[in-house]
Amino acid sequence: MLQQNHYLKSVYETPFHERTSELNILNDWVRWKDYTVPNSYFRVDLEYFAARNSTAVFDYTPMIKHRIKGKDALEYVNRFFTRDMTKIGLHRVGYAVWCDEQGQVIDDGTVFHMRENEYWLLSAERQLENLEVSAIGFDVQIDELTDDVAALGVQGPTSASILKAMGFQEIEMLKPFDIKHYSYHGEEITISRTGFTGDLGYEVLMSNSVALSFYEEMFAKGEIYNIKPAGLEALDLLRIEAGLLQPGVDFMIAEEAIRPGSTRSPYELGLSWLVDLSKPVFNGKAALVEEKKKGSKYTFVKLNINGNKPASGSYLYNQANKKIGTVTSAMFSPSAKANIAYASLHEPWKKEKDKIIAEIYYQKDLEWNRVMEEATIVTKPFFDPDRKRATPAELY
Amino acid sequence: MTKKNKKIAVVGAGHNALVCATYLAKAGFSVDVFESRSQVGGMIGKRKLGEDYSVPGTAHLLSHVDESVFKKLNLKKHGLEYSAQDLKTVSLNPNGNALVINDDEVDGDDITMKEKKEFKELNKRMAKLAGFLESAYGKKPPRLGSDDRDDLFSLASLGLNARMMGADSMSDLLKFIAVNIYDVLNEFTDHDHLKGTLAFDAILGNHMGPRTNNSVITYLHQLTGGVNGKNGSHSMVSDGTGSFTKSLEEAAKKAGVNIHLNASVESISFTDDLEITGLRLKNGDAFDADIIVSGIDPRSTFNCLVGPKKLEAGVVHKVNNVRMRGNAAKLHLALSSKPKFKGISEDELGQRIVYSPSMEYLERTFDFNKYGQISDDLPMEITIPSIHDKTLAPKGHHVLSAIVNYVPYHLKEGWENSKSRVLDQCINQLDGLAPGLKGLIVESEFLTPVDIEEEYGITGGQWHHGELTFDQFLMLRPVPKMAQYSSPISSLYMCGAGSHPGGGIMGTAGKNAAMEIMKRES
Repeated sequence: MLQQNHYLKSVYETPFHERTSELNILNDWVRWKDYTVPNSYFRVDLEYFAARNSTAVFDYTPMIKHRIKGKDALEYVNRFFTRDMTKIGLHRVGYAVWCDEQGQVIDDGTVFHMRENEYWLLSAERQLENLEVSAIGFDVQIDELTDDVAALGVQGPTSASILKAMGFQEIEMLKPFDIKHYSYHGEEITISRTGFTGDLGYEVLMSNSVALSFYEEMFAKGEIYNIKPAGLEALDLLRIEAGLLQPGVDFMIAEEAIRPGSTRSPYELGLSWLVDLSKPVFNGKAALVEEKKKGSKYTFVKLNINGNKPASGSYLYNQANKKIGTVTSAMFSPSAKANIAYASLHEPWKKEKDKIIAEIYYQKDLEWNRVMEEATIVTKPFFDPDRKRATPAELY
Repeated sequence: MTKKNKKIAVVGAGHNALVCATYLAKAGFSVDVFESRSQVGGMIGKRKLGEDYSVPGTAHLLSHVDESVFKKLNLKKHGLEYSAQDLKTVSLNPNGNALVINDDEVDGDDITMKEKKEFKELNKRMAKLAGFLESAYGKKPPRLGSDDRDDLFSLASLGLNARMMGADSMSDLLKFIAVNIYDVLNEFTDHDHLKGTLAFDAILGNHMGPRTNNSVITYLHQLTGGVNGKNGSHSMVSDGTGSFTKSLEEAAKKAGVNIHLNASVESISFTDDLEITGLRLKNGDAFDADIIVSGIDPRSTFNCLVGPKKLEAGVVHKVNNVRMRGNAAKLHLALSSKPKFKGISEDELGQRIVYSPSMEYLERTFDFNKYGQISDDLPMEITIPSIHDKTLAPKGHHVLSAIVNYVPYHLKEGWENSKSRVLDQCINQLDGLAPGLKGLIVESEFLTPVDIEEEYGITGGQWHHGELTFDQFLMLRPVPKMAQYSSPISSLYMCGAGSHPGGGIMGTAGKNAAMEIMKRES
């Protein structure tokens, strides 16, 4: 049920707020949808390294959670999402995008095949209306559970050990994208081996009533595993290294775009693997078939850029000094030890062997400097540790 | 596959569907038509009233027909006969002062010379605009945002036609096209009764009052086409419109069309990859076809024949948002002798009789309709076809056929217990206009929009298969991106009034659809 008293406060506090506000010694908060969550707790770099070297805990509660339930649930999700949803088995999670009628990506998210005839969609944006419109003719019930379900990301090499220490049996046996339901203090709690960091890690969905005790127990059991709270700023660095897109940053949410041409299709975001044109019908199919025939307007690439100055917001040129695209996200990756970025290039950008040159501005003692750095396209993830896939997960 | 081998199944045998089927059969396709009722014609056709009487089923006058279609199908040769042509419009006034409109002449009800002139001027200017619309009716509307040569050409010729009307008419077009008939008529004349009579043409069968936007389009729509090249003129078809449906049926059969009556279609059959394989009938029969042409309304086509699960959500959403609020009912009376209307001479009884005393009256009556209620005094278009056609009633007896407007599909109190009350109310109203009529009634029948939906299978009982408004017109009819008779399902086409150019007994949608199908499937 959605909270009814939203007008009394400008933002909600998550069920973890009592603890997160104690841990947030910088008192650095950021609004995420209707909630306030920590942007950083103590030091962004140390929060980042906790996720890579021990365990970092993120409060994901504001993530929008939708439940699709009913006899036609599979048929429904298969028509809603661009990918073949029959391949997401029971107790499995899949990454998915969905499109408007023009084949432009509305948002991305993860779909949890929770139970027989029941899927949950976790996304950045509220999709209730799109989901409802799409439900005409299907025997499904759609609900938004955002305010009823608390969510945590528990990410990092020691995360399996912590959950195991809390008593979640066989947690290490979960394969990437597996879901397991547990009972915790009499409430159902759902743990999936998923996350937004490209590393070993889990996401935990629980009812609000057990949220605080879960949090406290986890930090108590996790102390020897160097558990740390981490904010959204660290999360942004982790997701760029992991190769994950951020709606509203790496692409325009189709429904919020004002200018025609500023939206992107899945093909234009390097997500063609998420589109299955052999399905008889799905939202956006007709437009995507057409695009496949005529060619896309943009290409999305991962870049490794020379030097160490992050290319945030950079223009990209070819050797003839013609603008060929822009950077959408960029950072210097401590784990990959590389200057990495995502970029959207105009098609056709590559004539014979075009170079990609990033125009990077940076400050030194308040003085602005500019460098032109050559970039190469990377096809593999920037950071891809074996522990991400290893099953059973490493225990310490 | 050559077109000779392609099998086409047409759903519904309304006039547009039959026109389309006949064109396609003439072009060499193998065509079968499936009709759920026991006769062809859909919303036009003869209907039994009691044992001894016949009436025109729903449509009772031909006005804006597409004569090129009639000629091409040779309907006259196949039996089409008019029992009366060039009907005058006689507009009743409760006080007995009737107004008579004959082409661009108007007389009666204390009309002055000045007002007669104003009417002529109005007619002249509106005819030009209607001519412009008509130029766009005969072909498929252009797709918006398309770079296809045909689309660009038809868009350009639309623009050129607008320009060719001359500066004055072009400025009329821009000024009038999206506004309401109330403001436009007020600009031309002060004669309330005349304005009420003209505004009636704009609102008949549409969910609008004279002050509703778009009511100029509907007015112009009525002025397009016409029997014998006389735009907007009204004619009666012999045998209670039966000679029209008969001629359509003959023309279709002659061209090689197989017509299956009492053959209600359940759904379209598909392969797993959504390729059309044929039709499934409600009686369990299956029929193989390569191409399906739907003559039924767009909502029924996609919701029932195809099913929402086989369409993208955006398409389902748009189709379900096509506004289809029916608000015209049909009244049929069998009378033991000629009625006598106040202020109407006996030889005017066979004309088109309208009851719509003023625009204010229409607007106030529409207010009830808007809120799911019903006024106790309703605008009507009345004909007494038996004056011209003795076969419809026993000697000396007559039948009256009236379209009663502003009868809402969504009646707040529900139709179940209201129908006989509304029938009585209409009869009392007519008795006031034609004293003694009540005593002449032998048989009566009232078809509400709900009855029309049930019997003729039109969503909302909306005669035009979708309200005719600016956002459901030309390249936006029935919905954007589907305006060219095709659909998101390949080899499924639409040929009914839900497609461009819209409702009325015209046949243009059927013809245009056939042309498009021939182009794509040959």
